[in-house]
Amino acid sequence: MNLLRAWLAGLPAYLWSGWGAIASLCLLLAAWEAVSLAYGPLVMPDPRAAFATLWGLIDSGAAWPELAATARRALTGYALSVVAGSVLGLVAGLSMTASMMARPLVTVLMGTPPIAWLVLAMLWFGASDGTPVFTVFVASFPVIFIGALQGTRTLDNQLHGMAAAFRLPRRMMLTDVYLPHVVSYLFPSWIAALGTAWKVVVMAELLATQDGVGAALAVSRSHLDTAATMAWIAAVVGLLLAVEYLVLEPIKREVERWREQGA
Amino acid sequence: MSMGDRTMNAGRGAVTGKGAGNAQSGWSVRLAARPLFMCGFRPFFLLTALHAVLVLLAWGGFLGFGLALPAVAGGPFVWHAHELMFGFGLAAVAGFVLTAVPEFTATPAFAPRVVLRLVLLWLAARAAFWLSGGLAAVAESWLGGEEGQAVARWIGHLPAALLEIGFACALLAAVAPRLWRDPERRHLGFQWGLAAMAMAVAGFHLDVLRGEYPMRWVLVGLGVMMTLVVVAMSRISMRVMNDALDAARARRLPAHTLRRDEEAELELPSYRARPPRRNLAIAAIAVHTVAEYLLPGSPITGWLGLGAAAAVFNLLNDWHVGRALFTRWAFLLYAVYWLLALGYLLLGLARLGAPLAPSAGTHLLAIGAMGLSILAVLCIAGRTHAGYPLDERPRVGAAAVSIVLAALLRAAAGLPDMPASALQLLATLAWITAFALAAWRLGVLFVAARVDGGAGCEEYHAPRAAEAVPP
Repeated sequence: MNLLRAWLAGLPAYLWSGWGAIASLCLLLAAWEAVSLAYGPLVMPDPRAAFATLWGLIDSGAAWPELAATARRALTGYALSVVAGSVLGLVAGLSMTASMMARPLVTVLMGTPPIAWLVLAMLWFGASDGTPVFTVFVASFPVIFIGALQGTRTLDNQLHGMAAAFRLPRRMMLTDVYLPHVVSYLFPSWIAALGTAWKVVVMAELLATQDGVGAALAVSRSHLDTAATMAWIAAVVGLLLAVEYLVLEPIKREVERWREQGA
Repeated sequence: MSMGDRTMNAGRGAVTGKGAGNAQSGWSVRLAARPLFMCGFRPFFLLTALHAVLVLLAWGGFLGFGLALPAVAGGPFVWHAHELMFGFGLAAVAGFVLTAVPEFTATPAFAPRVVLRLVLLWLAARAAFWLSGGLAAVAESWLGGEEGQAVARWIGHLPAALLEIGFACALLAAVAPRLWRDPERRHLGFQWGLAAMAMAVAGFHLDVLRGEYPMRWVLVGLGVMMTLVVVAMSRISMRVMNDALDAARARRLPAHTLRRDEEAELELPSYRARPPRRNLAIAAIAVHTVAEYLLPGSPITGWLGLGAAAAVFNLLNDWHVGRALFTRWAFLLYAVYWLLALGYLLLGLARLGAPLAPSAGTHLLAIGAMGLSILAVLCIAGRTHAGYPLDERPRVGAAAVSIVLAALLRAAAGLPDMPASALQLLATLAWITAFALAAWRLGVLFVAARVDGGAGCEEYHAPRAAEAVPP
């Protein structure tokens, strides 16, 4: 509740600070416009054409089902990896042996390109939702796992000792000593994993499904419709930016505030 | 500052201008001794306000009644834009830097002789530019022919070019060494701004001499002016905003106790004009200015205009410190940034194909951001350095509101389906009202000797309660 109130109170100032981000995004749009002017609309349509196409897709209602399908798959895979990655990572972090053993496995998982998992998933799950969900899960799991592992491994032993010396109740031990520290590692890894999930799901859809943004991208590619391609890309990136900066970043700041104050 | 410091400063000032004084005739010595030349801002701020009225009276006469303007290369629109940018704007910049740079770098004030020379140069540049068309016509009637036309243009315009470039360079030469020698070099922004301004002036005149339409350099000048506004405002705003915050704190604390004071410090954040956001805004404006010069009217410039608007809005993050913002002087400066951002927003939208004239955006920048910030500087720096406290009377508000009105009316004239000429005339009237008020109410202070016992550019110090009561 406190978290919510702090979030609401800081919201106007936080939203206003978004102007800086908008300023740099405008520079990006100017660069995009320059490329489109230099190479022509077939290679790169100008931003206004892409946004007009996107607006047309949204206005006609064609965009929502695709975005919903993509979001459903991405979030399912992501939720699975958040639960599995956090729990397993925390548990592995508790034991030195387990974390030593887990590290090479995670490296293997991270090192395997998502496209390889996608091929396997297509063999196992066919054209169902299972393919993108599984690929998303496998791609974002190691990111969260490592975050959780680091969080538990780096717990301050002295702090632990001090808390024990003061006979801190177990509940306070958990909420005031362990949780803030672990969350400050977990949360950034969740955000990073969300980015991965969102990117991987589009790739998986492009090759494996009949609907979703990835499939729409495949269609626009086959029609050589670069404006629609850029429109879909803008939609995907825009949604990710919105979720990250409007929802996750404020929470992250709130969660990490104790660190700045300590420093 | 003690009496001893003052004499020392006067002594150093005399050394700076040594040698030149011997050749000076009696009238200039007598003129320089007048209170008007006591400090750099006095003549230049007075000329700024007078010139603003004069140029817009002539412009209003041209727009409304078809009265003739001084014939110059490029036509009436070039005359109007040039006079307001490089005449009005540069005079205000001169007044500002001649007063602020000695203060910022803790160097002695500029000697009245130096100020007088710069003023004469500025006046001569005005006269030469206004007469340039007539001079060219006379030369052409003598020379005749195709060849003669180009030569006549040179003859007509060269004096204006030399005087005006000379003024911009002399100003730079006067302040640059002090900015550079300052141990921390915290105010180099003014030096780069003045150098860029001198470049814009030179570019303008080279274009005229080559027979090209020189308006693009006025737009470069406008961009440079906007960065100078951002740089100068950051210095002024620190003072104004923190004064407002102090006042707000004092209101909250009838009795001063340390504990409560600490509490209040925590409740009311202090204001700091932080460099990162300012540098982003300056960079965005600079990139837009360069793009506008290289690719006039391109949609690329449009996105960069939106970027500049966003970067200026981003700058306002520093300003959102609560109710202290809504006090007169703080809000006046705050409004400048809004006009600056909205100007770039309109300019960007126009370039991206929105149905409005780009001139709506440029005039929000020129009238709104430049005009209002210059009025603010006249009212703040002009009064305090002339030895008076800030003017809390309604006329400052009236002048500021009429400038904002002028900016909005002129911008509205660039929107589709608007009675453009009526709006332009109204905007002209509002502008004239504001600067006539400033010229009158501040001018009388600038030409008169100080009454607070201070000398030169010294700032007004509020007499303490104990001192104010006569023994």
